[in-house]
Amino acid sequence: MKPRFLTGLLSLLMPAMVLAGEYDLTVDRVKIDTGDFVKEGIGYNGASPGPVMRFKEGETVKINVTNNLDEMTSIHWHGLILPFNQDGVPGISFPGIKPGETFTYEFPIQQAGTYWFHSHSGFQEPDGAYGAIVIEPEGREPFRYDREFVVQLTDKHPHSGDRIMRNLKMMPDYYNREQQTVGEFFSDASKNGLMNTVRDRMAWGDMRMMKADVEDLQGFTGLINGKGPDQNWTGLFEPGERIRLRFINSSAMTYFDIRIPGLDMTVVQADGNNVQPVNVDEFRIGVAETYDVIVHPKDEQAYTIFAESMGRSGYARATLAPEEGMEAAVPQLRDPARLTMADMSGMPGMDHGSMAGMDHGGMDMGSSEDMSGMDHSSMEGMDHSNMDSMDHSNMEGMDHGSMTMGKEDKSDPFYAKGSGLMPKAANGGKFLSYADLKAQDPLYEDREPTREIELRLTGNMERYTWSINGVKYEDADPIRLKYGERVRFKFVNETMMTHPMHLHGMWSILDVGAGQWNPIKHTVSVNPGTTVYMETEVDAPGQWAFHCHLSYHAAAGMFRKVIVEGGPDSTQAKTDAIAEDGGEV
Amino acid sequence: MNASKLFVAGMALSMSATAFAAGAHDGGHGHGATSGEPGKASEASRTVTVEMYDNYYEPEEISVKPGETVRFVVENKGNLVHEFSVGTPDMHEAHQEEMMMMVEHGVIQGGKLNHDMMNMDMGNGHSMKHDDPNSVLLEPGQSKEVVWKFSDKGNIEFACNVPGHYQAGMYGEVNFE
Repeated sequence: MKPRFLTGLLSLLMPAMVLAGEYDLTVDRVKIDTGDFVKEGIGYNGASPGPVMRFKEGETVKINVTNNLDEMTSIHWHGLILPFNQDGVPGISFPGIKPGETFTYEFPIQQAGTYWFHSHSGFQEPDGAYGAIVIEPEGREPFRYDREFVVQLTDKHPHSGDRIMRNLKMMPDYYNREQQTVGEFFSDASKNGLMNTVRDRMAWGDMRMMKADVEDLQGFTGLINGKGPDQNWTGLFEPGERIRLRFINSSAMTYFDIRIPGLDMTVVQADGNNVQPVNVDEFRIGVAETYDVIVHPKDEQAYTIFAESMGRSGYARATLAPEEGMEAAVPQLRDPARLTMADMSGMPGMDHGSMAGMDHGGMDMGSSEDMSGMDHSSMEGMDHSNMDSMDHSNMEGMDHGSMTMGKEDKSDPFYAKGSGLMPKAANGGKFLSYADLKAQDPLYEDREPTREIELRLTGNMERYTWSINGVKYEDADPIRLKYGERVRFKFVNETMMTHPMHLHGMWSILDVGAGQWNPIKHTVSVNPGTTVYMETEVDAPGQWAFHCHLSYHAAAGMFRKVIVEGGPDSTQAKTDAIAEDGGEV
Repeated sequence: MNASKLFVAGMALSMSATAFAAGAHDGGHGHGATSGEPGKASEASRTVTVEMYDNYYEPEEISVKPGETVRFVVENKGNLVHEFSVGTPDMHEAHQEEMMMMVEHGVIQGGKLNHDMMNMDMGNGHSMKHDDPNSVLLEPGQSKEVVWKFSDKGNIEFACNVPGHYQAGMYGEVNFE
């Protein structure tokens, strides 16, 4: 908070020294060619994705947005800290931008890193209305690289967003191609026994879910920087250079597991905020998240950037190469992920009694068990004889919980134990976990939260309704916060889908158990059957959106308005001025 | 489970004598280079102050003459634990595995070192003391010296091998005049 105050003070004292940049964006109907299909869509400055907007920390930006569509539009600057009336959510921040109108955004840039922007009107974002934001810091970057690329992913579907929503509402499994078949029933029955299989299927039926619902939207083509797998976006490098890749997931619905076979990746930033570097072989990027990684290709060869969807129904692919036209092998998609009963464990009303006969054999418990849940009685056979020379008295401070027992044995505490979604690196190496994310330079001092707010993530897949605490947006009261408090949000995911929760305007301090080193994010992914905590320093007056960033979940009602009451007089929110007529969000 | 195996591995891996051991099988770059040897403070031609921040050095390169002995005063001005280690890229890579183990054993905890763990007897006279003469491992605010005699020309860097730091760019070049 202090640096922000200083920036404000400086801008008062030295108005002539403040950097100011002016930018123009047009919102246009565009043609999108994925290599698999061509469709009409929406873009910026004549293309989808739109341009990479490059800002400098400390600058005040003025952005003129001209709406060339025949419908209302808006731009939300995802992850930027700014006055609420510049946040671009129709009905919450402002009325929206009418057809033919130019709206000028103006706000100070008070952060650095990788972000993105997108329309917050209807389904314009899944239809192509998104772009990247790169903000250069005032001081030096706390890492070194020779060149950088934005790597912006999306899940481009041949259908328009409106049509997808209609189909999902009519038939929630419309786009689910991985449903289990009658044939699979009989093969499961012969493997697991008929009664176990029947019980398993009945349990899933009770939950109004289909067992393969890792992704409720399949049939997309994964794009990187607007290019389909065959169009192969390529970034050029000289061997020996260090390259910063700014990954942004601008998908409507799709999580991607990303790897670059042959290269280690060092994660240095998450959601625009620097983290203590972590070396990984693979990472999962939730919808709306960003991760910056540094790679160091030493050889004169091409490398494939391979991004498989979490449910393995599709992929995006790009290439890093010393020369245009060079390619590396493209891996095969791995087997589809299947949810397990563990992913359902958060669901209320589940009759656990009827599950007594359940076959746990399919739950993948063995290999993913971590130390904390370890049954020590099974260690009796261990040979302690080699350990005689060890002085156990010094071991009291040892943290067994954080010990890695061979990389592939480590389970990710942010997934339900035995979850079918538990990520594993394709090469058996290190897969990034939220638990690895530690702030490089914490923005806020650690302090006790002033109160806790529980948000149950709820839904009914059969009717394609999504909600918070069982109430969808149009029926819900806003969440009221007080300026100056620190709120602890408790997300309890009672559905079998993963929800990337995005609070506008204020940082989400993700509780990874690292105290003052907990990382700050703008989007927090909550896996099925898990409870995740985040804290927010309520330091931005006004009213803000807070929602699941899966486009069709947000539209179905997993959305809240947050009102921050009070605040410094000068910035006292004038929220009454916001017309309700542009109220589509 | 594998607890016993881990400890055996831990005991077998020595944290000491790394510089020389790793130096011996260096040569991946074909220079046949070694990084040099511990120097005597009395023979140092000059003192170079190296400041460590999160996660970079100032300065990020130094120039030396072959055979020169330099006294480095290393100060950790960051909020995280950092290392200053002189070696070839291959030596740093080998050392990074040991440093990873120190993190996994809770020896390096963000901004703190667990000294009890460092001194723990891992068996066979080994420990995780991190007492190689070519490097120092410092908590925030700490300052220590490394006196190093550079031998011949070669691909030498000073680097922080706390996991991830080297890869993120916490290294500096040693240029031979």
